[in-house]
Amino acid sequence: MRGRPFLGWFVAPGVLCALGLAAAMAAVLQYAVRAHIPGSLGVGGFTLENFSGMLRPLYASVFLQTVQLCALTALFSLLAGYPLAHALVHARSAAWKSAVLVIAVTPLFLGEVVRTYSWLTVLGNSGFINGALLWLGLIDSPVQLMFTRFGVVLALVHVTLPVMVIMLAAALSHINADYLRAAMSLGAGPVRGFLTVTLPLSMPGILAGTSTAFAWTFSAFATPQMIGGGRVNMVSNLVYQLGFASFNFPFAASLSVVGLALAAAVLALLRLGTARLERLA
Amino acid sequence: MATEAVRLDGVTRRFGAMVALHEAWLKVRHGEFLTLLGPSGCGKTTLLNLIAGFLAADGGEIFIEGALVTATPVWQRDIGMVFQNYALFPHMDVARNVAYGLATRGVNKAEAAQRVAEALALVKLTGMAGRRPRELSGGQQQRVALARALVIRPKVLLLDEPFSALDRNLRGAMQVELKEIQQRLGITTIFVTHDQGEALSMSDRVAVMSAGRIHQVGTPEEVYRRPADRFVAGFVGDVNRLPARLLGREGDTAQVAAGACHFTVPAAPLAGLAPGAAVELFLRPEQLAPAPAGGPALLEGVVVARVYQGDRMELHLEAAGVPGRVLLRLPGHAPGVGEHGSHLAVQAQPQPDAMAFPPTT
Repeated sequence: MRGRPFLGWFVAPGVLCALGLAAAMAAVLQYAVRAHIPGSLGVGGFTLENFSGMLRPLYASVFLQTVQLCALTALFSLLAGYPLAHALVHARSAAWKSAVLVIAVTPLFLGEVVRTYSWLTVLGNSGFINGALLWLGLIDSPVQLMFTRFGVVLALVHVTLPVMVIMLAAALSHINADYLRAAMSLGAGPVRGFLTVTLPLSMPGILAGTSTAFAWTFSAFATPQMIGGGRVNMVSNLVYQLGFASFNFPFAASLSVVGLALAAAVLALLRLGTARLERLA
Repeated sequence: MATEAVRLDGVTRRFGAMVALHEAWLKVRHGEFLTLLGPSGCGKTTLLNLIAGFLAADGGEIFIEGALVTATPVWQRDIGMVFQNYALFPHMDVARNVAYGLATRGVNKAEAAQRVAEALALVKLTGMAGRRPRELSGGQQQRVALARALVIRPKVLLLDEPFSALDRNLRGAMQVELKEIQQRLGITTIFVTHDQGEALSMSDRVAVMSAGRIHQVGTPEEVYRRPADRFVAGFVGDVNRLPARLLGREGDTAQVAAGACHFTVPAAPLAGLAPGAAVELFLRPEQLAPAPAGGPALLEGVVVARVYQGDRMELHLEAAGVPGRVLLRLPGHAPGVGEHGSHLAVQAQPQPDAMAFPPTT
């Protein structure tokens, strides 16, 4: 510590936060292995029944659905985010760049509740989409968009897009423009140049963005809660129901632990893929 | 058959208010090694990018093999280009890098494999086909870049300062090798550099550029011995600028006097000056020599530095009335001549390639 007299003071707040988080995690962990006493907030003795209970189809299907929703969200934010990131990095005019940046990043600055309610006005039976389709005469009765997987994924993509765009833009901006110029000089048009040079070179960014989007979505709560309306459930919604409707804290805790482990496992897999890709490149 | 491989007719390019290239007129002959030489910001890279098609011209027309290509996109121009940083595709091995331009042209696999092998043999990289660019040295990367540009048999080879990233010894070897390959294939080559030594040693012709204009196009000997203006004289090689006086003009030549010596110089740069006018006499360092005792001297000065260069000795002199220092380049190691601090009378070699220009105002 010699020569760094203030290091301890600077590190202290971080250490305190980390200790608090660790204590909370420890509490959740120990709740996860305790028996539930119906009708009581207290917990019983050590048990692993919480974990075996998750294998029941009702709960297992929620895990499956969560992974599917995360995968779909990551995929569609990638498909929507790539062109935006590309435009952000390569647009010639500053006005275009600002427009793309605003489109891509504003979802971050909207509160979760405001953002989700705005989707209600778009997706509802008398909302913008149905209103427009009815007015155009394309449909006779409103299409159900709320409380569907489509609606939930759409809203999740909206909130995931900023992260995806920023990560992809960082990756794209690090690709030397001379690679594409070299491809063009060798006879590759814009499409071939993109597919054979830009896209493969941005693969690390694609993997990083996709895995972050996946993890980011895994913890989504308000969006599936309000837009899914109980019909589209993710692990976080199940935890909420069990914890605050049934007061089954041990089972809610064990669900959280498994959810965390699952997300960590998926991220580890993606990371392994990235490492292999970087060794190849 | 077009008479030129590349022709520029009054090509202009602006960046905002700045004119990067001002009405460039240039004809590049078939099989010629032409160098665009100039300081950074002179427009040489802009000119190369206009020929390649990476930049669009604001005025004028560009022809390759007689065909108008001003509006043709890069990928249809049939050019080979070597970039300053080589720009080898990092996610492909050497063979796939070299084969890239063949794949875009739809060359079948068997022929492509054979042509890739030939190209790698040409640049002495046989056996390296499976390596990744990052596993290669700078010189090897440069060879791959050259093979990749040549394998498509382009109409013109464009080289953008390809040697600037190499260390000095390797650079010399690569220069010789590039020149050999270029002559063997007889490929029209346009080479961009700011290194005048490189330009003189490699080129069939040199286009000297400054501030967006082509000042002179000529053989290395022409631009060195008969520079068109004071910029070319000063940029290509070292030069001594000595105060002199115009004596008179006769046809294409003019007489000027400096010190006790008279010189015959081309008259064209001195048009409009009356006899007796002050001019600047340009003499190369190797065209000066110590004057024999009692002989007529061009100037007299004090030796302030003696710089040994191995094959030659350079003497730096301070002389009254001459701004800056006077530089002499003597063959061998000139024993006993111009010791440090000694006075030295200087004369010119017989029939020097002297030039005179009006003084800067």
